Amino acid sequence: MTAKKMGEISTRLRAIFALVSVAFVAVLAVSPVRDFFQSWKRYEKNYVSYAQTRPDTKRLLADFHPGIDQIWLPEMRVLDRCTTCHQGISQTSLSDASVPQPFRAHPAIPHDVKKWGCVVCHRGQGPATEISEAHETTLAWEQPLLPIRFIQASCGVCHRADLPQTPKLNRGRELLSQLNCSGCHHLQDIERPAMLGPDLSNVGNKLTRQWIYKWLKEPHTVVDSSGNTVVDGYETVEEPRMPQFRLTDPEIKALSAYLTTLKGQPIEPAKFDQGVVASLQKSPDLADQGEVRFRQMFCTTCHSLAVTQGDETKLIGGNIGPELTKVGSKINPDWLVAWLRDPQSYLPHALMPRYRWSDQDLYKVTQYINTRLTDPELLSNVPPLEEPAQEEIRLGQRLFLEKGCASCHVIQGVSPQKDFGPDLAILGSKNVSQLEFGNSSIPRNIISYIQAKITDPLSVNPAARMPQYRLTPTDLDAITTALLGMTGSPANSSLARLIVPRAQGAFHPAGAFGELSDRYKCAACHRFNGDGGNLAPELSFEGSRAQRQWIMDFLKNPQTLRPTLIFRMPQFNLTDQDASVIADYLGMVTQSAAVKLSAVDQKQFTPQMAEMGKQLYEVKYQCNACHTIGSAGGYVGPNLSNAGNWLNAAWIEEWLKNPQALVPGTIEPRRSLTEQEVQALTAYVLTLKQKAPGSAGTTAGGAQ
Amino acid sequence: MKRRDLILFLIIPSIAILSSCQHKPAAAPANPLLNAYDVEQSSTDPQRLIPLNYQQAQGKRVFNNNCVWCHADSTPAGPSNRSNLTPTPPLFTDGETFNSLSDDLMRNTITLGGSAMGKSAIMPPWGQTLTPDEIRAVLAYARAVAQPPYKASARPASQ
Ligand code: HEC
Repeated sequence: MTAKKMGEISTRLRAIFALVSVAFVAVLAVSPVRDFFQSWKRYEKNYVSYAQTRPDTKRLLADFHPGIDQIWLPEMRVLDRCTTCHQGISQTSLSDASVPQPFRAHPAIPHDVKKWGCVVCHRGQGPATEISEAHETTLAWEQPLLPIRFIQASCGVCHRADLPQTPKLNRGRELLSQLNCSGCHHLQDIERPAMLGPDLSNVGNKLTRQWIYKWLKEPHTVVDSSGNTVVDGYETVEEPRMPQFRLTDPEIKALSAYLTTLKGQPIEPAKFDQGVVASLQKSPDLADQGEVRFRQMFCTTCHSLAVTQGDETKLIGGNIGPELTKVGSKINPDWLVAWLRDPQSYLPHALMPRYRWSDQDLYKVTQYINTRLTDPELLSNVPPLEEPAQEEIRLGQRLFLEKGCASCHVIQGVSPQKDFGPDLAILGSKNVSQLEFGNSSIPRNIISYIQAKITDPLSVNPAARMPQYRLTPTDLDAITTALLGMTGSPANSSLARLIVPRAQGAFHPAGAFGELSDRYKCAACHRFNGDGGNLAPELSFEGSRAQRQWIMDFLKNPQTLRPTLIFRMPQFNLTDQDASVIADYLGMVTQSAAVKLSAVDQKQFTPQMAEMGKQLYEVKYQCNACHTIGSAGGYVGPNLSNAGNWLNAAWIEEWLKNPQALVPGTIEPRRSLTEQEVQALTAYVLTLKQKAPGSAGTTAGGAQ
Repeated sequence: MKRRDLILFLIIPSIAILSSCQHKPAAAPANPLLNAYDVEQSSTDPQRLIPLNYQQAQGKRVFNNNCVWCHADSTPAGPSNRSNLTPTPPLFTDGETFNSLSDDLMRNTITLGGSAMGKSAIMPPWGQTLTPDEIRAVLAYARAVAQPPYKASARPASQ
C-alpha cells in the first residue's frame, strides 16, 4: 500500500467519521427537540400570552409555573397532569364561553377542581402529556374520557347514597333494582330484594296453562314504533318487570306444562255468608256496585287500569302492584277471594295490605273483577294444550333452572343456580381489553359494550342467556351511568373514608302498631325516618303535626283535597280499635324535637290576632296563591279549609318560622316573619274549621 | 456499500426528527348533546334539544321542585296552578319577558320576592329557602331555556 493510498483512505475515513458524528449529534438532538415541540409547552406559552391580553393578568399568572403541573391523589390512585394545559380551570374570570379552550374555567361544582383535578370524574389518563393520550383510547392507554352524558357515574363512585344533583344516576340505580338485575348479577350496593318475581310454588292453583303459555309467548311488554312502552296494547311509562326470554314453542309448552303441575297448597273454594250472596246475587248492577267500591277503596293508587279517553288508551293508576285491566281472564276466582282475604298466606312478601273486608264488599269487588276486568279475546291465539305429558313436565323443570327463571321466582324445593349472571360489581372500572366484544362491530369501548349487552345481548355473545329488556333511550343511559359508577369496593382504607354509604334503614315497629303496620303495609307508601315509600307524605313527624282526632277521622275515611293528586290513601275499613292504636303510635313516637306541643296554648290566640292574620294571609303574603280555603285558592299546598281541626298550634308556629327545619326539602318558601306575624297567622289558621270535622271532602291530606 | 451506509446514517435521524414535529390531530369537535350533563326539550320546537351544563341542570331541578307550580303549564302533580293566579306568572321559557331583565334584577326578584321589588306578592322570596348557588343555578336554567334565546350582554357575566 502506498503512502498516497493510505492518505486517501484516511481522508475518506475522516469524512465518514465526520458525517457519522454529525448524524450522531442529530440523533442525540432529537430528544431535546421533541421536548421543545411538546404540545403542552405550546399551551403554556399560549396561556401566558392569553393572560397578558386580559385585564386581570396578575391574578391569572399568580400561580402559573412553567413545567408540568401535577395533582397527586394517592388515596384515589390518581396522578393528574391535566392542569398543565387546562391552566384556567379554577379561574372564575375565565368561565365565559368566549374563553378559548383549554383555558376555560370549570363550571361551578360542589368540589374544588383545583384539589381534585380532572381524572377523578372525567377519567382519561392523568399522567399523559399528549392530547390524544390524555383524552382518547390509544394502544398503550386504555381509559378514554367519560362523555359528559355519563359523568354522573363518577359521582356514584364515592356517593353510594343518592344525591339530588344526580338524577340520572339515581334513576339508573332505581331501574337496576326495579328490574331485578340483582336476581342474576352481583351489583355494587344494589341489594337483592326480598321478593323478585312472584313465588310460583302454588301457581297451578292460580293460573291456567293457557294463560301461562300466552304470558311466556307473547311479551306483555312491547315497544311501539315511537319508542313508547306498551303493555297489552296500552301505553305506560313503566317497564314491567318480567323481561322477554328467547323461548321456542316447545320450550314454552314445556314450561307451561311444568308450572301448571305446581299445586302445593290447594285453594279452598270461596266461602261467603249465604245471606250476603242471596241478597246480592240477583242485583242487576252487582258489577257496577263492585266497581264503585273498587274506586272508593282506591285500589288504583297501586294498580293501574287501561282507560280510553277519546281515541287514546292509557294505563292510569299506580305501579306498586300489577296492572289489572284483564286480570279477570287470568286468575282462578277462588284464588282471588283467598288472595284478597289474606295475600301474605299465598305470598309472604306481598306488599298488598290485608284489608278488613266485609263479605258484601268482597263479593261485589270480586264479581266486578271477574266479569268486567276481562278480555274474551285474550287467549284466543293460544293453541290447544293437552294434559301435560311427563317428558314435557321434566323438560319444563330443567328449563326453569337453565333459563334462569329460578333466579327471580321461588318454587319450594327448587334451588336456583348461584350467581347465574356474571358479576357486575366492578364493571365500571374495567378496561377495554377485559371485555368480550365477540363478532360485533360496535366501537370498542365500555359504553357501547354495556348498551349492546342490554339492548341486544346476542350481538356481543350469541350464547347469552340474558333476557331482552326494552328500555327507552333515557333509561338506557341511566342504567349505563349507574353501571359505569360501579368500580368496586375501595382499594384501601383512606379511600373508604371518602365513600358516602347508602342508608340502610328498616322500619320495623314493635307491638300492636307493628302488627297493624305489617297488615296495612304503611311503609309501602309512607316514609318513616328515612325508610319507606315515596308515594305518600312522610310520617316521621305526624304526631307533632296533626291532632289526634283528625288522624282518627282521616284513617277511617281518608280523603284529600288536593285536586291534583291521583293517588289517594286506600280505604282499609279500619276498626275504631285499629285507628286508635295507629293514632296513639303516631302521637307518641313520630315527634319532631322542634315542636313543643305543650308550650303553645290555643287560648292565647285572640280574635283580633286572627283578624290580623287574615289580612297577612290574604294581602301581604298572598298565601292563597298556593293554598285553598273553601273554594278559592291554589293547588300547590294542602287545602287549609279544615286546618284548625287538623294541625297542632305549635306545629303551625314552627312551620311558619322555618318549614325546612321541620320537613327538610319542603317547597313552602321560608319567609322572614316577625314573631307577631307568626302568632297572628297561627291564630287565623286555627279558626279555619269545617262543621263536621273529618266528613267527606273536608280534610286535607298529602301535606308536603 | 459505503454509500449505502452513509445514506442510512443520514436518513434514520432525519426520520426521527421529522416524526417529532409531526402534527398531532386535534380532538374531534364534541357533539354538544352527547357532552351535556342533561338536556331539555325546546318549548317552541319539541324536536330540538337544548344541552344543559351542570349548573343549568341543577337549576332545572330547583325549577321542577319550587317554581314549576306557578311558572309552567303542567306540573309533576298534574294541572298547573299558574292559570289560577293574577297576575299570571310568566312561563319560565318566556324570553320576551326575561331576556330584557338583567341577571341582578332577576336574582333579586327570586331572592327577595315580588313584594320587595314592587311586583306581585304572589312571587315568594326564596332567599331563605334556596342557597345562593341554587338561585344562580335556576337563573342559569331560565337563560338556557328562554325562547327567543337569551344572548348575554357584552360585559362578562357576573357568576
Ligand atoms: C306561588 C307562585 C310562584 C312561585 C312558586 C314562583 N313564582 Fe316567580 N312569579 C310569580 C308571579 C305571580 C310573578 C309575577 C310578578 C309580577 O309580575 O308582578 C313571578 C315573577 C317572577 C320573576 C320576575 C319576572 C319579572 O317580570 O320581573 C322571576 C325571575 C321569577 N318569578 C322566578 C321564580 C323562581 C326562580 C321561582 C322558583 C324558585 C319562582 N319564581 C316561583 C309567582 C310564583
